[in-house]
Amino acid sequence: MTASITTRRAPAAPAARVLRQRAVQAVGVVFLVSTACFAIVQSLPGDIAYRIAAGRYGYDQVTAASADTVRAELGLDRPAWQQLLDWLGDLISLDLGNSLVTGADVAGELGLYFSSSLQLAAAALVLALAVGATGGALAAARPGGALDRITTFWVSGARALPPFLLGLVLILVFSVHLGVLPAAGHGEASNFVLPAATLAVGLSGLFARVTRDAVAQIRQSEYVRFAATKGLGGRLVFLRHVLRNTGVTLIAYVGVQMLILIEGVIVVESLFAWPGLGHALVHAIFWRDIPMIQATAVALALLVVVLNTVVDLGSLAIDPRPRRREVVL
Amino acid sequence: MAPFATGRTGVETGMPAQGGPPALPLVPAVRRRLVPGTAVQGVAAALLAVVVLFALIGPLAWPDHAVQNLSRFLEAPSLAEPLGRDHLGRSVVARLAHATQLSLMMAIACVATALLAGTAGGLIAAWRGGWIETALNGLSEAFMALPALLVILIFSALANGDLWTLYAGLALSQWVEYFRMVRARSALVLAGPAVEAAGLLRLGPVHVMRRHLWPDLRPLLTTMATFGIGSSILALSTLGFVGIGVRPPTPELGLMITEAFPYYHEAPWMSLAPVLVLTTILIGLLSLRSKEARQ
Amino acid sequence: MSMRLNHLVVSHADSTLVDVATLNFERGRPVTIVGESGSGKSLLAHAIMGTLPANLTARGSLAMDGRTFDLSDRANRRGLWGRLMSLLPQEPALALDPTMRAQEQVAEGAASFTADSSGARRTAGTLLAALGLGHASRAFPHTLSGGMAQRVAFAAATIGGAPVLIADEPSKGLDERARTELAGLLKLHLDGGGILLTITHDLDLARELGGDVLVMKDAHIVEQGRARQVLTEPAHPYTRRLLEAEPANWNHAWARRGAPPEEGGTALVSGEGLSKAFGGQQLFSDLSVTIRAGERVSLGGPSGSGKTTLGNVLLRLLPPDAGYVHHADALRGGRLQKLYQDPALAFPARVVLWDSFGDVIRRHRLEPARLEELMASLGLTPALLNRRPGQVSGGELQRLAIIRAMLLEPALVFADEPTSRLDLITQELTVACLMDQVDRQGCALVLVTHDNALADAVTRRRIPLGIRDLQPQDKKAFARRKKHAEVVM
Repeated sequence: MTASITTRRAPAAPAARVLRQRAVQAVGVVFLVSTACFAIVQSLPGDIAYRIAAGRYGYDQVTAASADTVRAELGLDRPAWQQLLDWLGDLISLDLGNSLVTGADVAGELGLYFSSSLQLAAAALVLALAVGATGGALAAARPGGALDRITTFWVSGARALPPFLLGLVLILVFSVHLGVLPAAGHGEASNFVLPAATLAVGLSGLFARVTRDAVAQIRQSEYVRFAATKGLGGRLVFLRHVLRNTGVTLIAYVGVQMLILIEGVIVVESLFAWPGLGHALVHAIFWRDIPMIQATAVALALLVVVLNTVVDLGSLAIDPRPRRREVVL
Repeated sequence: MAPFATGRTGVETGMPAQGGPPALPLVPAVRRRLVPGTAVQGVAAALLAVVVLFALIGPLAWPDHAVQNLSRFLEAPSLAEPLGRDHLGRSVVARLAHATQLSLMMAIACVATALLAGTAGGLIAAWRGGWIETALNGLSEAFMALPALLVILIFSALANGDLWTLYAGLALSQWVEYFRMVRARSALVLAGPAVEAAGLLRLGPVHVMRRHLWPDLRPLLTTMATFGIGSSILALSTLGFVGIGVRPPTPELGLMITEAFPYYHEAPWMSLAPVLVLTTILIGLLSLRSKEARQ
Repeated sequence: MSMRLNHLVVSHADSTLVDVATLNFERGRPVTIVGESGSGKSLLAHAIMGTLPANLTARGSLAMDGRTFDLSDRANRRGLWGRLMSLLPQEPALALDPTMRAQEQVAEGAASFTADSSGARRTAGTLLAALGLGHASRAFPHTLSGGMAQRVAFAAATIGGAPVLIADEPSKGLDERARTELAGLLKLHLDGGGILLTITHDLDLARELGGDVLVMKDAHIVEQGRARQVLTEPAHPYTRRLLEAEPANWNHAWARRGAPPEEGGTALVSGEGLSKAFGGQQLFSDLSVTIRAGERVSLGGPSGSGKTTLGNVLLRLLPPDAGYVHHADALRGGRLQKLYQDPALAFPARVVLWDSFGDVIRRHRLEPARLEELMASLGLTPALLNRRPGQVSGGELQRLAIIRAMLLEPALVFADEPTSRLDLITQELTVACLMDQVDRQGCALVLVTHDNALADAVTRRRIPLGIRDLQPQDKKAFARRKKHAEVVM
């Protein structure tokens, strides 16, 4: 009984490879965002320096001198390449500077913003996964049934209703008319409900759809049929084979949806005045608070990389197959 | 069982099925027939047509969107002003028409730019390989981690709500999707036996482009472009909604929703009109997309 | 114990797909159903098992150990699965859960699994070791070769002790050596006193199994009897036709077996000192190959031995790791053509065939009449050109691919397993078409095939390839080259 035993390479520590690739991506993202922020500084016309000065010292205190102070502080009088190197050097040494509006240390505020954004994103993701995956699995049990049609409707409905409109509707219904939930605020559990729900409605529809399709497809797979003819009961087949393989598909899809989640976080934070990165970024852009723009934009981009790394590692944990990086549509 | 379930028979195509002088046409006898959509898709297409018509004709019919008349503050709809007047006494229908036109034009321009740039980059990367592919791929990796809204926000910070920065930001945030799809698909097609055979038959790059790559990419590109128009309009209105998009006197859908929100009790038509236009466009595009996907 | 199938009819809408009167199965005596695809043989197996697709209906009954099951009720045999009857799947690589280790997938088939899972795992380990897979029990399916996956699937299907084993096209995609191994496994089940029903299009597997052979065509069994008798002295014309279509029995003008290799002739392709490693193996090293004008050569060897790779190196579609390949001027301008294993992938998938052929005709300024003439002589109707590749059957499309290659009057045609996906009779027709043209145009032919009988029938010279495992010092070199190889693949 000799078969051609193919020699295969031991996978070169897949987790290490994921971390390496994501680290390279993180560096690229930081460089890109930071350079873009530098370009903003370079493009600042004179009156913007006035505006920043106004933001800092109050409109009645603005003088040519204070505008010059701002310009000098941003180092606008040196050659561009030198400024860029300094700029990136400051970033590497985590010297993020002070907010031009409040004067507070940006690095100090960033931690709070980051954690509250992460909390919101995590709450929305958990909610969306719980509702979506369960709904999808139940819909797959009876293709074409009532629940199946409801998920289909839900998916298209959620896509046509952008997050800011959905948030508005929820505020109108639950805060203004029913008065049961707060529309803005932070710190209490009830504050989570509306923002997280706004984000979760759209995502859960997508997750339900993907789960439904994955379960239906895996049910038809050769290995599930083989498991049944081996003598495994329906419940065992579901637990041992359908569940894990659905997880593989769903986790990969969650990774793809991270960008949508973070975009949603930016919008929803602005809408509900949630003190996170998105809210801070929009504010900073409005006031041209460059150090804050740079810090929050870099942090948001890194948040995406971090979440994607977690997804990659999760998918490595349940799927032993070698990865194809390219997801073809 | 018939080996081909979807094949057309000779009778249908007007070709002799067997015997007789085989008349080989130099032009294909069969052209792609238009697949009739379902009723839902028909309705969606009609709704979209109405919105487009409104965007084209509306600004001509109601040219003055900026004229304020504070004495006509929150005036209710009438025959002359079908959507009433807003909190500054401006004509809501005029503002809506201009806003719709702006959204559609910006979205089409952004998608066209992103599609052309991304497709060209993807084709070059897949065909040439080497350092060009490495460089473009590295750039796309970084862009993949950036939420589109973040790219647009950074761009809008570059200039104070100028239209061209919004356009550049939107296009820049979208090219990467097209690039990655085109590169991945083209690499697959170019490495496949069909292209290898075309090489052995010495058919040249035009044949590969026309018969192999384009037919494979076209359906996906149309679907993505339909989708892209929807997300561009959405991004634009989101920016307007959070107050950092188009500069305020210019009417914009998201901005109109924000402005109308405080008055939704007194003048609900003011909020509902832009919401209706926005959702109509999105639903219409989504329904068209489902038709594309089914083909 | 015995099993008896009574009056089975499987139908879809108003067409009958299987219509069989009575079949008896006994312990230790294999029953093999042979026939071409679409004859209904697989449906018969699935009707017995209760795994027919939902849109098909079955009538009839199955008697087993004094119990009778109505076949129209697909659920009444679920309780027997794994314990009384079991199915060996078609493609074991797809039938194993990609996320679960081999031993676990075998263990869950044991009757005691829910009550005593660690006991079941021990049994599974013992069974795998007995099948020579002790070292692979912790392996995930993607690391197993085809033959190893086949043995894991066999262990999983038989661990529950089901006396009835149904094997549906078990030799699909296996080379000769793996097929012999498979026959050994199936005999193992028979020796344990089991009942075996095998569905196959592979007459060699039927010969190796022995026992009873049933020949199926168009939903009916046209002939049945002892394997030795049916497969040597067939009574039914269809069986005769089937046997004649085996390459070893071909009797065509061009199939002069044992004729000496043609001498002289100019060298069209000459490869010197060729080496190539791929997928962890040194496929060949320091190999020199010359292909002369008008010659017929075959590249043979088991799957994974590098036949296709050597071919691509000789065609200069793939660079060798060492050595060089020279092409004669006679091959310029498209006079070197290739036929592919799956012709559907060799044409642009989304355009009608006419566009593909039109481009060839325009590019090389050929007479359209030549295409008509070739199509007529290969028995194809012009209407086929209005279809896309996916809408034409495999046999017809391969003939169209032959026509496309022959339009350029090539000096050398390289055919890579051109018929391995075709039924026997279609294979004979396709090869006949190819060889007619090769004969007429006097071009050289290189045939890649794992089928020795086919190679003997068509070619005069053979270049055999084997497998050697990669030497440790080669592994680094392999890893370096892997990136390039992935791009080419």
